[in-house]
Amino acid sequence: MKILSFLLWLPVMGAVIIGFLPGKIASARLKQITTLFALGTFAVTIWLLTQFDLSNGGWQFSEYYSWIDAIGLSYSLAIDGVSLPLLILNSLLTIVAIYSIGENVERPRLYYSLILLINAGITGALAAQNLLLFVIFYELELIPFYLMIAIWGGEKRGYAATKFLLYTAVSGLLVLAAFLGIGFLNGGSSFDYDSLTSQGLPLITQLILLTVLLVGFGIKIPLVPLHTWLPDAYTEASPAVTILLGGILAKLGTYGLIRFGLQLFPEAWSLVAPGLAIIGTVSVLYGALSAIAQKDIKRMVAYSSIGHMGYILVAVAAGTELSILGAVAQMIGHGLILALLFHLVGIVERKVGTRDLDILNGLMNPIRGLPLTSGLLILAGMASAGIPGLVGFVAEFIIFQGSFSTFPIATLLCIIASGLTAVYFIILLNRTCFGKLDNKLAYYPRVLRSESIPAFALTIIILFLGIQPNWLLRWIEPTTNQLTVNSEQLSADSYPHSRTSQLSVGASDHSPVQELLSRK
Amino acid sequence: MDFSSNIASQLHAGTILPEGIVIITLMVVLVGDLIVGRNSARWLPYVAIAGLLLAVADLCLLWNAPDPDAFLGSFRGDNLSIVFRGIIALCTAVTIPMSIRYVQQSGTSLAEFIGIMLTATLGGMFLSGANELVTIFISLEMLSISSYLMTGYMKRDPRSNEAALKYLLIGASSSAIFLYGVSLLYGLSGGKTNLIEISAAIPQINGPQSLGLAVSLVFVIAGIAFKISAVPFHQWTPDVYEGSPTPVVAFLSVGSKTAGFALAIRLLVTAFEPLTTEWHIIFTALAILSMVLGNVVALAQTSMKRMLAYSSIAQAGFVIIGLIAGTDAGYSSMIFYLLIYLFMNLGAFTCVILFTLRTGTDQIAEYAGLYHKDPLLTLCLSICLLSLGGIPPLAGFFGKIYLFWAGWQAGIYGLVLLGLITSVVSIYYYIRVVKMMVVKEPHEMSDAVRDYPAIRWNLPGMRPLQVGIVISVIITSLAGILSNPLFTLATDSVTSTSILQPAVVTQELPATVTISSVIEQE
Repeated sequence: MKILSFLLWLPVMGAVIIGFLPGKIASARLKQITTLFALGTFAVTIWLLTQFDLSNGGWQFSEYYSWIDAIGLSYSLAIDGVSLPLLILNSLLTIVAIYSIGENVERPRLYYSLILLINAGITGALAAQNLLLFVIFYELELIPFYLMIAIWGGEKRGYAATKFLLYTAVSGLLVLAAFLGIGFLNGGSSFDYDSLTSQGLPLITQLILLTVLLVGFGIKIPLVPLHTWLPDAYTEASPAVTILLGGILAKLGTYGLIRFGLQLFPEAWSLVAPGLAIIGTVSVLYGALSAIAQKDIKRMVAYSSIGHMGYILVAVAAGTELSILGAVAQMIGHGLILALLFHLVGIVERKVGTRDLDILNGLMNPIRGLPLTSGLLILAGMASAGIPGLVGFVAEFIIFQGSFSTFPIATLLCIIASGLTAVYFIILLNRTCFGKLDNKLAYYPRVLRSESIPAFALTIIILFLGIQPNWLLRWIEPTTNQLTVNSEQLSADSYPHSRTSQLSVGASDHSPVQELLSRK
Repeated sequence: MDFSSNIASQLHAGTILPEGIVIITLMVVLVGDLIVGRNSARWLPYVAIAGLLLAVADLCLLWNAPDPDAFLGSFRGDNLSIVFRGIIALCTAVTIPMSIRYVQQSGTSLAEFIGIMLTATLGGMFLSGANELVTIFISLEMLSISSYLMTGYMKRDPRSNEAALKYLLIGASSSAIFLYGVSLLYGLSGGKTNLIEISAAIPQINGPQSLGLAVSLVFVIAGIAFKISAVPFHQWTPDVYEGSPTPVVAFLSVGSKTAGFALAIRLLVTAFEPLTTEWHIIFTALAILSMVLGNVVALAQTSMKRMLAYSSIAQAGFVIIGLIAGTDAGYSSMIFYLLIYLFMNLGAFTCVILFTLRTGTDQIAEYAGLYHKDPLLTLCLSICLLSLGGIPPLAGFFGKIYLFWAGWQAGIYGLVLLGLITSVVSIYYYIRVVKMMVVKEPHEMSDAVRDYPAIRWNLPGMRPLQVGIVISVIITSLAGILSNPLFTLATDSVTSTSILQPAVVTQELPATVTISSVIEQE
């Protein structure tokens, strides 16, 4: 068994073992077993990192087995510089999510096996080299997340879970429809990623397929008109589930945009890019402004997530070498920061018993408050607001730098919105951490070490990658560079299997890639 | 002696050996019951299952028979019919284990029930291979009349009586309409009853367009649509499904429908070949209505059996997509879907039966909190329902992908998109049941689940039920992932069946790669 298959099947094995272990097993023991499997997958991803060939921007660790030829479905896995960091993020956040589960969770068996299943599904989607295989993994997430929200969520969990289910099911089917379309138009014998291309299709067909795909992934990201499931799902789900939802599941949407939108439809991409940039900017502004209006800290963080995903959209729409690098960096950075924020908010909620900004007060208090948690919360807020020295700044700066040449106004608006981010985080920090704590009322339980360790780990990574961003970017850069390098070579001789922009003169005057070329 | 063996060889009686085996089994069941009496219930079901499996084994031996025509062309044992006969026989073989306990608990005779069900199976099997109008009608009636009897089998239950009466009245009239359509066909072809002769004679006698043929087509489709319960010929389905004994519903929703589809393929592709465009239009309408109405109305159901009734209407709509595609891929995806539908639907029904046996109800609300009391049943029912809803990686997802893929290749984009959209709707109502069972907290349990009896598998008739559930669930989970052999089977049966080949060739294919050509290339 090759390494990617091992990475994929290890958590599945874990889920099956946990689900069918005979006899009654204590919740703590189950947690240990789950952690063991999660650590195993994490170790494998780290091993992948050490083995990754930095000079090669293409596919690595490829595996190929034919599966069902009749519909062109094959079991083919491979990763490149875009998927590798996301794989690591996935296995890291799985560990964090397991840690942020309380000791006495109800129905631990189901809970832990679902978490491992989710990990496997995301790994599969990130490594899939066959479009149908991607859809299978993408849809596989549906049921575990639905159950996770519906069983272990807050008060309105039934509503939130059903909403999530419907939106995500529609998203999956739209993606499937677009894939069926492109697969068929390529002769219909294979869905293998490398054998598909949109080149030679009429532009209008490309546009239709791309729009379907964008709406599909747009629900998952989510983009502003399609986002209404998000605040409910994020708020009602338990912290562990929210970490997985916001930290990594939403990234599948942006990953899909880059992998299948940008790379499969380079010609149509330059046409929809301005529209995407507008939607992205609207998402950024909407997320930031809505977050300012929230009274519930979890909801506030949820809306902030909409805003931060908007940056990624603007960057992907701009499609320059630098902006895509920034987009991938932002996926990782945002995943880490959001996980930290939700984890801390979860701790605050568990200890204080409320998420209401009007009630929370003075948690910085060194004696009766939660000083450590508040300290980390301040740091997480700073990271999210893009304060230099933390990973959020790195990613946002690269995005702004990369997209400004293509979409100056959108980028400027995004910069303004990142100022708004600071506004709502100041509101949040000011209300929760500072102020005067009523010493007579505040008897909060201690924050356990098992709760603070994941927060520390995430903080260290956020700090480290902020100071030494190259450790993040070096894995991504070869691949994102190749995305645009390809197009230069290929515009000269139209290589049949290229999936990057073949520059049609006069088709679109403001093609981002063209601009990039003219700059050089 | 010499003469009779000569006749037998001319008639190719060996082609219907599987049916012969079923008839012998039927005899053994009936006579055994008469001789031994009630005690025979202990071994009779197993004899019936063994007989059916033997018939399936014999069907395998008949695969690729050199000369499939039997009884002077009135029965064709070609590979297409073998697949359909196999599905029907398997369906009964899976239905019998789930009915043992159910029938015994209701206090009626098991042997008679099995006898009637075997007769229905026989009718369905003959219908799948019938190539001649009279044979078609007789086997259709054999299937239908046995079905009426089975729906009314719970004599003391007024709902069962009502269901039987409704089914009988609507079924009889639809048979009459079908017969009328067939008689037109007989007249238009100048007195031929063999389908192949009819298809040759009709264009010569009537020219390319004929009003009479169109009328006949409409009538025949009405009969077929009744059998596959496509909207708007579905009105009987919910009531009959709700009232009749659940094993019968399971058989009707799979076996009877499969027979209907077999009839549809054979009759439409041969006799109505000149009207291909017309029947495509009619079936498109049927598919659209079935998918939309079946899925939307299923949302509002409170009874599990009624919900499964509407779901089966919707599933028939999905299967019709393969029929309309009219390509190799279309027919084989249809067969593949029927194969896996057999297991996922029967699995779901077995679970429903088990729940009814233990609690005496089939209301969806009563499933609340079942996870806490019976995790195995919850898991099995969830898998079957999610597979029906088309969630990967279960078999139903692959079945739907095949269907949609074939439809997309054949250029019926609208139907495929509608199929995609309605399957989102279907996910909602299947998940609703899963949610009831899994998500509800112990304090939200329904009364039925709170008084859930201790799980005992050693009661008489429970073991076969357990085996049935486990087999269905295993196949439902794995048939999709390992679908290559099944799909090859479906494709082979289509490509090696002569009646489908001209139809496939005459289809105007938009430059696509059909499955057969892919296989040839390899």
